[in-house]
Amino acid sequence: MTLDPIALALVQNRLDHISRQMGWVMTRTARSPIFNQSHDFSCFLTDAHGTLISQADGIPIHTGGGGFAVRALLKAWAGRIHPDDAFVLNDPYEAGGNHLPDWVIARPVFVDDTLAAFACNRAHQSDIGGGAAGTYNAEATEIYHEGIRLPPLKLVDGGALREDLWALLKLNSRTPELLDGDVRAMLGSTQIGAERLQALLEDYGLAQGLALIDGVLAHADRSFRAALAGLPHGIWRAEEKTDNDCFETRDIWIRVALDLSADGLTVDFTGTDPQILGFKNSSVANTWSAVYMALSSFFDPDLPRNEGTFRCVKIVAPEGTIVNARPPAPMTMCTVFVAHEIVHVIWRALGKADPARACAGWGKSIHNGSAGRIGTDRPFVAYHWHCMAAGGAVDGRDGFNQIGHLIALGGLTIPNVEGYEQAYPLRILKHELRCDGGGPGQYRGGTGVDYVVDVLEPAEYSFRGEGLNYETGFGAQGGLAGKAGQMRLTLADGTVVDPPKYQVRRYEQPLREFALSPGGGGWGSPLARDPQAVLRDVRDGVVSPQAAGDIYGVVLSDNGRAVDVAATQARRTALAATT
Amino acid sequence: MSEEQVVRLRAPWRVGVDVGGTFTDLVVQDVDGRMAVAKVPSVPADPSRGVLDAVAKAASQAALSVGDFLAGCAGFVHGSTIATNTILEGKGARVGLLTTEGFRDSLEIRRGLRENNWDHRTPFPPVLVPRYLRLPVRGRIAADGSEVTPIEIADVHAALAVFRAEGVESVAICLINSFANPAHEHAVARAVREADNAWPISVSSDIIAIVGEYERISTTVVNAYVAPRVVPYLRALDSTLRERGLPHGLLLVQSNGGVASVRQLENRPVNLALSGPAGGVGALALFGRAAGTDDLLSMEIGGTSCDVMLMSGGRVATTDQLMVGGYHLSTPAIDIHTVGAGGGTMAGVDAGGMLVVGPKGAGARPGPACYGFGNTQPTVTDALLALGRLRSGPYAGGAVSLKSELAQAALKSAVGDHLGLSQEQSAVGIIRLLEQNLLNAVERISIERGIDPRNFTLVAAGGAGPMHGASVGRMLGCKRVYVPRVAGAFCALGMLHTDIRQDWVRVFAGEIDTVSPPALAHAFADMETEARRVLRAEGFMPERQVIVRTLDLRYPGQQSSLQVDVEGTFDPAVVRRGFEEQHQRLFGHVQPAGRIAIVGLRVAGIGKVAVLDPQPPAPGSQAPAMVASRRAYVDEPHGWMDVKVYSGADLRPGHRLSGPLIVEETTTTVFVGARDTLSVDAAGNFDIALAA
Repeated sequence: MTLDPIALALVQNRLDHISRQMGWVMTRTARSPIFNQSHDFSCFLTDAHGTLISQADGIPIHTGGGGFAVRALLKAWAGRIHPDDAFVLNDPYEAGGNHLPDWVIARPVFVDDTLAAFACNRAHQSDIGGGAAGTYNAEATEIYHEGIRLPPLKLVDGGALREDLWALLKLNSRTPELLDGDVRAMLGSTQIGAERLQALLEDYGLAQGLALIDGVLAHADRSFRAALAGLPHGIWRAEEKTDNDCFETRDIWIRVALDLSADGLTVDFTGTDPQILGFKNSSVANTWSAVYMALSSFFDPDLPRNEGTFRCVKIVAPEGTIVNARPPAPMTMCTVFVAHEIVHVIWRALGKADPARACAGWGKSIHNGSAGRIGTDRPFVAYHWHCMAAGGAVDGRDGFNQIGHLIALGGLTIPNVEGYEQAYPLRILKHELRCDGGGPGQYRGGTGVDYVVDVLEPAEYSFRGEGLNYETGFGAQGGLAGKAGQMRLTLADGTVVDPPKYQVRRYEQPLREFALSPGGGGWGSPLARDPQAVLRDVRDGVVSPQAAGDIYGVVLSDNGRAVDVAATQARRTALAATT
Repeated sequence: MSEEQVVRLRAPWRVGVDVGGTFTDLVVQDVDGRMAVAKVPSVPADPSRGVLDAVAKAASQAALSVGDFLAGCAGFVHGSTIATNTILEGKGARVGLLTTEGFRDSLEIRRGLRENNWDHRTPFPPVLVPRYLRLPVRGRIAADGSEVTPIEIADVHAALAVFRAEGVESVAICLINSFANPAHEHAVARAVREADNAWPISVSSDIIAIVGEYERISTTVVNAYVAPRVVPYLRALDSTLRERGLPHGLLLVQSNGGVASVRQLENRPVNLALSGPAGGVGALALFGRAAGTDDLLSMEIGGTSCDVMLMSGGRVATTDQLMVGGYHLSTPAIDIHTVGAGGGTMAGVDAGGMLVVGPKGAGARPGPACYGFGNTQPTVTDALLALGRLRSGPYAGGAVSLKSELAQAALKSAVGDHLGLSQEQSAVGIIRLLEQNLLNAVERISIERGIDPRNFTLVAAGGAGPMHGASVGRMLGCKRVYVPRVAGAFCALGMLHTDIRQDWVRVFAGEIDTVSPPALAHAFADMETEARRVLRAEGFMPERQVIVRTLDLRYPGQQSSLQVDVEGTFDPAVVRRGFEEQHQRLFGHVQPAGRIAIVGLRVAGIGKVAVLDPQPPAPGSQAPAMVASRRAYVDEPHGWMDVKVYSGADLRPGHRLSGPLIVEETTTTVFVGARDTLSVDAAGNFDIALAA
């Protein structure tokens, strides 16, 4: 059937608008600040088989992963899905979930009594029980330590909320009011999405509407193939490590081989290390999403984010490895780490195939949380977002000096110091760019920051120092890596503490925390950096005069206010000869 | 109201001038409500020339000398793009920033906020002050306003030596926690002033005393950045107009939708960031009166973009989060949602073979393909021409001439040939996709503000708005669309109906149930005294002063506030009701009996201008005659029809016409669908009743 190209464009535009509308409803009606501050959710539409047809809005690490949830739901409930039902699920092993805190609400869409599609919302809950408040239990060694596990469950049956199930869900959360409000907001947003999607399909008639949706997927497939066209065929390999399993320091490797051929792209993780004791193991949905996110962000940001885009991508992730763990491995952290490593390893391999687009690595985060009480009754939990890491460089742009997590492509807002001091017993003394933290390159990696804070009350500290003590923002195309993160605590009595990577500790006295956040990687040879940009960096105090001379080969004159062009040329020639 | 006709004015009159990217619009309305419009090309290199050209043209249309025209002005209101363009073009001053030691980089870190996270290859726009000119001053105020360490003025002197050596032209001062206690900032400002009186100084706690150092620093720095460019320009224009006969000074539209004198703006030129589009606030008030409703959605469409605004219950939504050219400003501003959809928006086919419309536009030059200035990519205007909605030949008084064959060629080569469509089908596709994008923009504002657009009247304005109003209104489920006769001068017209307004914002800590009412009253009284002083200095006697007192409220822990007015004496029960009503509408829930924190106080000082509606044209006695009839594409079921074309000048109050039809007005073209009905209302504007 040939499709009307105008109808096709209108349908694609409407599908994306529907998934965005669901997001606006969610942002407006959800209870926890996580949804409007960090946008830690995604709204998506699938067809009747669970194929993702639109996910215009949402946190990048959810890219293209929603289909797993709907397919698991179809498997569990086939033949027993009716109009005005709604489902809830979260389990990464049994229900196509990515990790336990992200719950999915899925609502079927019926047209002419036929199941035609689903409108869904995947969103991070404030608390789901488990071994630690706030969903992240750094000491988990089994998924049972991480909170309540939900197979695909019918939460709304023919329009009636199942009160018994609702009570069970709330009873398993430390913050039942937030959960209640947030899940209701998810139900509301999927309701809007389902109504709009039903109207769309009815406007065209079911058969024609579904044909147009297939056309939208086919367009996405053509778009991604067009992005791959022109790249050389062959196999590109890359590896990336984490230096710990959450309990001890040891290297764990994520390895990938990208096979690019006329048929498409195979992403093969064979050779990746086995799953680990701690909670960084990845689920299938999360690994697939991380791959999709790495591909989308490497190529064109306007690529459609539906499953058609990835039709020519085949992923091989051997079971029992850290990228596809067997139960009951814990996995709550996986949407950040090991997702960060998966994105990095794909970027590294793609950078070999397509050097012009190569992306340098982003620093891995180190920020911890402090929880305690102000006076006798006011509890507080403060995350030290002010020591977020830096981004890596690409051709044409230096790395972001401080930016949110890679897996959200920076979509987390760093709070204002003043707002934090109003809300928490903290006095922040320093929040400034690091000197020489950024990986040198033609385009320099982000610097990272120098952060000093006084925590004025006794508190419990949950450490998540992935980016401490090893370089995590790798360099690309001859660029160098950013500096590792560092952290040190000085207790009020003078004791100096070297904090653990992942652990919870309590200090009964105020303390001062010093942190240097990880720098991002540089892109291209530092000897190719515009000497005026190096001069500016030195004047700005983010590159030392010594590094300017030794690494960038730039010699300054006029008391550090100008470039000595001739001396710089000579120095660069000499440095190039020695490397 | 044709441009050639002489409009005899009776003094005094008011004038509104809006400088746009392409045209400068002037609207004048006299004491009897008689109105005239003058449109001249803008002069981007010197916008004041466009203003003076428009004045000269309006004077000649009124058969007056420029001196007599200006002498008769009771109010001259100007929407200026000077501040905005200074930011967008990166042509501001060299700024030095003095800030608290340890926090030199908030301006550059920008809280990590980017507009499109996926587009990670695009760098931030350049930081407005390089790090080597962001210099530290020792001294610290705590979160509660107490002094932790005293201010070190020696650091200021050291910094000023650097500023002098580096050729700094403007100084910004922003210290941590100055919203809670501005003493340190004021001490620093004093030291700067004593050292060198020539530097303009921007002090954060004077400009906008909000919590949040990044937004406060950014706003203060932008103020310092534009001040040396904007203030002399405004002063010069003000004195030129006065020398030529203007009895009172120039008034400027601010981002908050109110106007202020040049003197008021000298310390806060950053408040001009939305100066042009904010004129729409006055226009919505005017059309709300004419249309008999307080609930309006407006869609002002120009050459490159569409601005959507919402007036609910007579009030235009405002925000504290404004972004201009990638720079954050936290001054109170009207909430405008802008999308890249206008007459010059370009269409094409993407790499995967899908038709796309926008967001890129062809601008004024080269403009649409049919202008013949070298663009070969079809635009919305080309599609309208191909569909007979626009005609070939001269528009805008001959400034451009549309050539049908160029539009056809562009449609064929850039769209039709790729998709196997005729030029006509391509044009239909472009218009449908554009109108769907307009619909999406209006729906977004509606959803975010928690209102049902079906209960609102859609105002279609801007030169290109009335072409799409009926279609978008129908898709939204509206029953009527209101088209101002001078749609193309929407903001200039609005400026005639804009009150003087200045906002004061102050941080306040308390809860509605436990706050001491006298303490609250005292804080408000301080701000009100200052507001009344300014209004009086602007010539407003107490009977024309309106003071609005507002509380910023939130549940403890929330990240953003809702605003609730305090009328008369503070009553916690009334305030709670107001807060909960808004919270329910916007967020869908409330916390029954929950604690409600007061985080800020606002006072708006408003000087009311007298309400003066435009004089409607004389009622028409008999049915108007059409000036032409042409084949035009109407919509999907109706296809091509013979469409009657009317001249706007022939349409008078009381006239009622059935669609499909086209009205050619001096500043716009109105399209009315096949089964819609156009009525000319008592005010002389077009009220379109939409068929379902």
